[in-house]
Amino acid sequence: MELFDNLLLGLSTALQWNNLLYCLFGVLVGTAIGVLPGIGPIPTVALLLPFTFGMDPSSAFIMLAGIFYGAQYGGSTTAILVNVPGETSSVVTCLDGHQMAQKGQAGLALAIAAISSFFAGTVATLVIAMLAAPLASLALKFTAVEYFSLLVLGLIAAVVLAHGSVVRALAMVVLGLLMGAVGIDVSSGISRMTFGMPELGDGLDFVPIAMGLFGLGEIIASLSRPQGRPVVVAQGWRNLMPTFAQLREAFPAMLRGTTIGSLLGVLPGGGAALPPFTAYALEKKLAKDPSRFGKGAIEGVAGPEAANNAGAQTSFIPLLTLGIPANALMALMVGALMMHGIQPGPQIMTEQPVLVWGVIASMWVGNLMLLVINLPLIGIWVRMLKIPYRLMFPSIVLFCCIGTYGIANNMFNVWLMLGFAVVGYFFIKVGVEAAPLLLGLVLGPQLEENFRRAMLLSDGDFSVFVRSPISAVILAVVFVLLLAMLSPAVLRKRDEAFVE
Amino acid sequence: MSHSPASPDTASTTPGIWGNSDLLLGLFLCAVSGIALFAIRKLSFGTLTDMGAGFMPRVLAIGLLGFGVYFLALAAFKRATESIGPVELRPLFGVALAVGVFALTAGRFGLVIGSILTILVAGAASKESRWRELIIFSVAMSAGAVALFVKGLALPVPVWPW
Repeated sequence: MELFDNLLLGLSTALQWNNLLYCLFGVLVGTAIGVLPGIGPIPTVALLLPFTFGMDPSSAFIMLAGIFYGAQYGGSTTAILVNVPGETSSVVTCLDGHQMAQKGQAGLALAIAAISSFFAGTVATLVIAMLAAPLASLALKFTAVEYFSLLVLGLIAAVVLAHGSVVRALAMVVLGLLMGAVGIDVSSGISRMTFGMPELGDGLDFVPIAMGLFGLGEIIASLSRPQGRPVVVAQGWRNLMPTFAQLREAFPAMLRGTTIGSLLGVLPGGGAALPPFTAYALEKKLAKDPSRFGKGAIEGVAGPEAANNAGAQTSFIPLLTLGIPANALMALMVGALMMHGIQPGPQIMTEQPVLVWGVIASMWVGNLMLLVINLPLIGIWVRMLKIPYRLMFPSIVLFCCIGTYGIANNMFNVWLMLGFAVVGYFFIKVGVEAAPLLLGLVLGPQLEENFRRAMLLSDGDFSVFVRSPISAVILAVVFVLLLAMLSPAVLRKRDEAFVE
Repeated sequence: MSHSPASPDTASTTPGIWGNSDLLLGLFLCAVSGIALFAIRKLSFGTLTDMGAGFMPRVLAIGLLGFGVYFLALAAFKRATESIGPVELRPLFGVALAVGVFALTAGRFGLVIGSILTILVAGAASKESRWRELIIFSVAMSAGAVALFVKGLALPVPVWPW
């Protein structure tokens, strides 16, 4: 049984005492930033990246992955207790979770959210383990031609699943790709768009850009909105244990949520944001009495919570098997791999089995930790929620500065982050999402290299992309996606899905 | 709320010209494309089989220009435009200035002074800041930053001006 061999290899990595500590640290930090509405996993991972240089790549990855799925747990805590989503993915949990809390069932809602997340996390880990090997063997057949098509698919799918205008998202991808071309050209050694700055020789660093766009830009935008003091539901969160009947009521929703999350997470462009919306809509449709939803229905918490956690985890599949990031956070992970000298790509599973399986196994370990630690720690999270934003945001600004300085120990990146903070605020103002830009930035150099190689091998003949069967199928999917997305009927449906 | 959905903060019906989001985005994209095309004007384009260093950047920059022109056209011909809403300068300048202050002071005068100044300037970005609280908080954060990053994570940055 190859699957069990692989999982055992992974467990032996994940259960090393230092990796257990890194995993614990990751999920705790993740939960904390998930609980705090002002800061998300992207700037946090960017902030901690420079400090993982000295670590073993598997340990670094186990910790960074823990931040991501830990944040999904934390986000629901805030959604339930304060009616403010700690993360975008927990928007739906506000609807019924907070209603439950107001009825004095805060503890029950928190417990159901945690149990659903754990159940989904366990299933998703198994899904990753089962899908990883076949996908990786398919990936071994990839040449520059197929890889180029796959990168195109990754970029286009990211656009499709972004909120808002498709054309705007496409423009952001192209902008990101162009920014990815900054630096010394690998094949000719000529510097491009460096404007005489030696610091740009290695290209634009994605850490200051991610922190500027996602961390600081967001701070400027939220300071422009009126601030309310968070009102924490004070009672009922100590009573945590659900009854057997309540669990039985929630279980089918959990199961459906996990399925939806796992499926949507694997898609390039997937992640934790879309699945909960879909799961909530499905639960409402299946319910005998849909009017209970929005008034504290237990399925309205179990389904979406299972979906966002499953989606967060299965979004690692494209990255771990094919080296394609599914969303902006996975793009950061690609950058992290490259910083550790690991070339992301289809060969990653065969060349780095310890890393890949270690991370997969650590996800289950991390989910177990989250279930065991988090519920008893709820008192601390509640206290943390009472820190006013006027003190939190200056600290985030300071940490972003120090973290950015830490990448190369120079101030150039801090200035770069300053520029992108302003750009990030501009993007929020004009209504474009920055995630496609980050994907383009990270994938740009690989896209160019594979395109060049494919063209060199085929002697400048474009038909090579359709003559290879794998590449042809991938490009056909891209074509269908683009066509579907530009058709008005689908656009309307998609907007409805996001509104719901 | 790690990253709010990409809808403008407020949408009013009759924006002025400079509140038109299509126009602003179009200008931004055209400007970036123009700068890029200028910067790569001397790089060789090459052929498909043997691409020069300028091939990809030029293709991408021209593509970006296309998007820029598209948004400008939208701004010119579309009736209902989305306004970007009011632009608050205080948070924008406060946060930007705080980062600039860090870049100028943390290396020269050390992390202790740099951190205190960064927190104080950042605090000015919010109307809700209370000065006495912020001063005490900045000293505490400065000590915390030194303990965490210099002592804990061994970040090579000077701690004091001397």
